[in-house]
Parts: sequence; structure tokens; C-alpha cells
Amino acid sequence: MIPQLSGHSLLVFVGIPLLVVAVLALLVFASSIADGPRYRPGLSWWAPPVWINGPTATKPDPANLPELPELTGAPGATVTTGTAATGVARTTGGASASW
Amino acid sequence: MPAGDAFTPDQLYDIERAVRYAEDTSGLHFSVYVGGADSETRPFALELFNELDDPDSTVLVYVDPAGRRLEIVTGSLAKRQLTDTAAGLAALTMQTSFATGDLTGGLVTGVQQLGTHAHQPPLLHASDEQHKL
Repeated sequence: MIPQLSGHSLLVFVGIPLLVVAVLALLVFASSIADGPRYRPGLSWWAPPVWINGPTATKPDPANLPELPELTGAPGATVTTGTAATGVARTTGGASASW
Repeated sequence: MPAGDAFTPDQLYDIERAVRYAEDTSGLHFSVYVGGADSETRPFALELFNELDDPDSTVLVYVDPAGRRLEIVTGSLAKRQLTDTAAGLAALTMQTSFATGDLTGGLVTGVQQLGTHAHQPPLLHASDEQHKL
């Protein structure tokens, strides 16, 4: 014969264990919940770039610059545009690694 | 922490403190960039490096978490204090932490190590007189 469980018995034998389990789970996962998503090597990276101690002067956006008057040169003259002048060849050192 | 940010404010504070320590110790500028590269990592790191205010005296630590690549770039003056070998040792330290998923710990330890390696002790003998034996 199956004994009838009263509301009080349910609370003691089911409710309290469930509450204890919930509290323990919260304690275990609290730190990871607070830290947010964690970096896992091999999975995709989700966050926007972060630059600590980056350049102080912001460079003007080329799209917002006023239009320059069109150059008029001698017949047959060519106007060369490009980014070659902006590239600065520096002697650098350092190291590389991958994981 | 807002969803999608790479670091919590506490983690950012730790990294910034490590950067300040490295700068105070070495007298060089340190910069840390964490993000994906538009192209190959080394050329991209050099592009970032050239955007800095004083690249010659700067050490840039570039981390590409998605590509699992790390680049340390030292300027022409900085590499006199921080040799490629020392940079490689710091890269190994960071690599170990990054492989376990600890970006913040790797950056903090690595940047501090770079600053320590680049440390130049003050000259005790400032006189130009040659010592006679």
C-alpha cells in the first residue's frame, strides 16, 4: 500500500532537497555567470576589439573629409594616388606565437 | 558586464595596471590590442603599430583570440632594451595561459614580464672618467 504524502511531507522530502540543490548550483556557477562568456580556444571570438593604451589622436575618417578641388595638370600628366606614402618602413623586432 | 565585451571592468583594470607597471619599470610605451585581424596577423599588427603615437619607443602586444595568434612588436628604440629573445620568452608565457583560455592572466603576466625584461637599472657610475687599474 502506497502511503499518501501530505503537503507538509512533500515540502520536507522534495522541496527542501530541491532548494539545497538549487543553492549549490547557484554557488558553483555564480562566478562564471558574473564573469560572462569565457574565451575558449578554437571557438569563435565574439567580442569587439579592445585597444589598451592605443593612439591618443584619432585619425580623421576619409569619408568625412571635404572634397578637394580636382587637379588640373598639363596634358598627358598623370596623377598617382595611393597609400604608398602613408606606409612607414620601420625597423621592428618582437616575437610571434600561436596556440 | 555588458554582453559581448571581451573583458570585465576588473579584468581591464588588471591589464591596465600591468601596462602601467611595465611602462614605469622600463620607460617604454606599452600597448595591448585584442581583436581579430583583417589580414595576416603580423602585417596587421604592424599596421596597428604604425598608428601609435611614438612607435619607436613602443611595445605592442597583439592578440588574435579567434586565430589563436600572438604578435609582439617592438620599435627601433624599444628593441634595444627588449631583445627578440626576451620577447619570445614572454610570448611563451602568454601562449601557455591563452591555451587554457586565460586571456587576462596571460596578458597580465606577459606584459609584466616584458616590462621586467626591458628594465634598465640606473647607472651608478655616471662619471666619464676611466678607471685606472
